[in-house]
Amino acid sequence: MAVRLETDVLVIGGGIAGAFAAYRAREAGARVLLVDRSYFGRSGCSALASGVYPAYMPGDDKDAWMRAFGGPLVNQPLVAKSLPVMHEHVLLMDRWGVNWVKEGRKIVRMGAPGRSFANGVWMAEGGPQMMMAVRAGVVGSGVEVLNRVALTELLTSDGQLPTSGRVVGACGFHTRTGEIHEITAKATVVCTGPYKFPYPWPGSTLGYMPIDLSGDGIAMMMRAGAELSRLELGGINLNPDNALSAPGLESLMPSGAKWVDKDGRRFLEDYDPKRMEMTQRALLYFAIAHQKEKGQVPSMDLREVSPERMQLIRRVIPIVVNNQEAMVGDLTEKPVPYTFQVAGTSGIFGAGARVTERGETTVPGLYAAGTCTDMTYLPGGNLPFCSVTGDWTGRAVGAAVGSAERPQPPAEQVERVTAEILEPLQRRDGGEFEPVHRRLGELLMEKVGLVLHADRLDAALGELRDIREHEVSRLTAQNPHELAKVWGLAQYVQVLEATLRAYRHRTESRVAFIREDYPIIDNVNWIKMVVVKQENGALRLWDEPMPESWHDPHPVRPTQNLHLVFRNQEADRAAR
Amino acid sequence: MPLVEVNGNACTGCGVCVETCPTDVLRLDADQKAFMAYPADCQGCFVCQWDCAYGAVRVHINDPASTSDSP
Repeated sequence: MAVRLETDVLVIGGGIAGAFAAYRAREAGARVLLVDRSYFGRSGCSALASGVYPAYMPGDDKDAWMRAFGGPLVNQPLVAKSLPVMHEHVLLMDRWGVNWVKEGRKIVRMGAPGRSFANGVWMAEGGPQMMMAVRAGVVGSGVEVLNRVALTELLTSDGQLPTSGRVVGACGFHTRTGEIHEITAKATVVCTGPYKFPYPWPGSTLGYMPIDLSGDGIAMMMRAGAELSRLELGGINLNPDNALSAPGLESLMPSGAKWVDKDGRRFLEDYDPKRMEMTQRALLYFAIAHQKEKGQVPSMDLREVSPERMQLIRRVIPIVVNNQEAMVGDLTEKPVPYTFQVAGTSGIFGAGARVTERGETTVPGLYAAGTCTDMTYLPGGNLPFCSVTGDWTGRAVGAAVGSAERPQPPAEQVERVTAEILEPLQRRDGGEFEPVHRRLGELLMEKVGLVLHADRLDAALGELRDIREHEVSRLTAQNPHELAKVWGLAQYVQVLEATLRAYRHRTESRVAFIREDYPIIDNVNWIKMVVVKQENGALRLWDEPMPESWHDPHPVRPTQNLHLVFRNQEADRAAR
Repeated sequence: MPLVEVNGNACTGCGVCVETCPTDVLRLDADQKAFMAYPADCQGCFVCQWDCAYGAVRVHINDPASTSDSP
């Protein structure tokens, strides 16, 4: 028997964006149901966050903040508008019981890589404590929560995907009982976060399984006809991610961590001699990719971090430190080799549905917030942009649903989607999950790589289509738990195809998006966004100039050749 | 592969780790003790160890049965 639920606002995903969206919508008087595929407060990125919430606080230099986030592809007025909300959120979370690092009663500010000023607010007990306190605040406000339900398809007023009507809810299944859940809502808010490719490469620490960050929200929105953008930039292709990287850099770098090569030389001298380890995260990624290309093994050296600071770090990023020390022993004894993880991810800059600041996608009834949208700009700590966009979306949705009617999806759509969801449980001679999972990991590592090239991308896309058509479509599941994995993989493959196509479309290099065949940061031709849309069963891509209202007041260099800059530096050193 | 080690004497069967595991790895066995029902899906995130109020759960990033925990 299917479980049928009705609500005003359906929020899909229980990270910090979903939490704030749900809270504000509820505050506006709406009935809100938050559905999480895992457990609200423990799933996805937020609980495993870097321990840092980089937030504007009164007294900060606003101009310095704007310069720090003043990339040419960033919506400047929106960033300016978000700053005071970040401060509001720090205080709200403080009331909810989030344990910020304080001196007495005063919240302490901490420095961060790539920043000329102390912008960080640190979590004294890391992301796990932050999210449980946020959860308590949100649940206390009257938001209803449903855990362990994987929503896999949006429902529409015309029963079609893509829809010419509006989104009217979503359909999925309980990952333990297998019960079908059909949820109708006046507004649906997707907050499913980034997508992280789930392949535990040998030597890596965190191995992501497709039960968690599989980009299912992005895939669902794409099938419903929503336009996506920033996939190639937010995607950061295969960022050289590991436990010391994504969650951790913000607190380790300002604490005296050093990046060294096998001879103990601080290789950032070659890339940013002025700021060294406090360089921008994107440049750090580039430096690491470049070192790997040259056959070096970058390591992190924490020997000069003071014992007091190390003690604080152990509290702020407990998961990162536990995880890494379980692998290599005491982190402060010797440089730790930088293990290299395949992670096709959008967790750094945010990529996904094109949204307005009210969270509206290009499909009526469908809203989105956080890192599954194109509106989370804060590299190396986008938690505040997630909470802020969640907040704005929640307010907008809360106001919009008041008098709206709750439309129903056609019964035949629910029937069709239900049959599709359950199909892997009924296949008898299909394929197993693990070989397909492994093949995808190898595709990313060997065919796509860190430094991109059109030829390799074309080959990878060809193989990916083969995997999608012949392997993912045949996967079997023995139980609801396996069904969640199969669906995670199926969703991920669709988002990955859109991402690789977007990589192919942007013929320049920018931030950590590095193309061997187009190594120039091309500010003449590429102050543009790449848009992806699913139409008639195929992906359509185009590029659009940034809206004038996004104007960046800070001048950018017209072009800069990343590879040549470093090649010249190497030649100079060799000559000396 | 990560391993979640549960100390059967300390585990009270409260089920918090079963409830919160992001990748739904854990279940309670017939004796109401937590165990890894889906070991292949453990991502080594330490959430179970963090959430256990009784200190009964310990995460090993490398399964000690196959490799040493430290180099």
